[in-house]
Amino acid sequence: VLHELEILPDTVLVIRGDELIPEDEMVRDEDTIEVRPVISGG
Amino acid sequence: VRCRKCSSRAVIGLPRHNSAFCSACFDEYVLDQVQRAIKSHRMFGRDEVIAVAVSGGKDSLALWEILARLGYRSTGLHIDLGIGAYSEVSRKKTEAFAQARSLSLTVHALREEHGLGLSEIADGLHRPACSACGVIKRYNMNAIAAEHGLPVLATGHNLDDEAARLLGNVLHWQDDYLDKQSPALPASHPKLVRKVKPLYRLAEREIAAWAVLHKIDYIVDECPNSQGSKMLIYKDALNRLEAAAPGTKHHFYLQFLDRQKTRASHAAPSPDLRECASCGQPSTAEVCSYCKLVSTLKVVP
Repeated sequence: VLHELEILPDTVLVIRGDELIPEDEMVRDEDTIEVRPVISGG
Repeated sequence: VRCRKCSSRAVIGLPRHNSAFCSACFDEYVLDQVQRAIKSHRMFGRDEVIAVAVSGGKDSLALWEILARLGYRSTGLHIDLGIGAYSEVSRKKTEAFAQARSLSLTVHALREEHGLGLSEIADGLHRPACSACGVIKRYNMNAIAAEHGLPVLATGHNLDDEAARLLGNVLHWQDDYLDKQSPALPASHPKLVRKVKPLYRLAEREIAAWAVLHKIDYIVDECPNSQGSKMLIYKDALNRLEAAAPGTKHHFYLQFLDRQKTRASHAAPSPDLRECASCGQPSTAEVCSYCKLVSTLKVVP
């Protein structure tokens, strides 16, 4: 997912429901996921 | 992917350590890294009460929770910067976190002190909001901690923050700042408290993951004033390097710290501190930066 979206892996978490999805795991078309940014500017 | 320690299903990969962990082993890794940071820099002891600077973001709330889990006594300090809805949500999340865990919290509201929020103050001073914010937070956090008799202030700065700051300091050869860039700064004046950064060994993404795994309800939105900040530009550059060569940020910052130990004997002595003529807080000038900022607003501190 991250590769397709051209997102740097260290800048986000991928969350499905309550669980974290490791960066190399494929997600299914029917999955609802949150791509949550983790970088703060302070 | 399987956990490197116990072979359960991994929830997070850590390319910089060529590793992956399940939830339980990742928890152990995070607590171990923080304890290692505290011990190696002699940040504080279990007999001290630690002031934790809490913004409502992932790093500071995770730090507060981790210190509690490690058995340290702490109290939270929150500055309500008065940046519209962002500050309202940040404060609410901080207060809810403290209340749910029966942790004590002191809130200092800028708008109650000056009648203005940070954005209006920065506009009035014609200076960038982040620069005024730094002065305001440093001054108030120290003053409140000292007033409460707390010997040490812990902030949630992480490996990414420190590596980005180091990159900025190196790019501009800020020797003074390089000398002071340490996870533990001693109190160099009776009215200054020690400043420590127990999360410096953990990457920003690792802390966010830990916060999610522990269901910490933090503010995900970024401060509206930080858009386009230099810190974000430096972090982006470092994250591009990290993607190509995992471990770059870790080596860049931790090897700087190793070199700093040998540089310490050659470092310039700390500047002489006197007490600000206006507020009495420590300052290198006759009037401290905070009082200068406030006097420009023509508001008495």
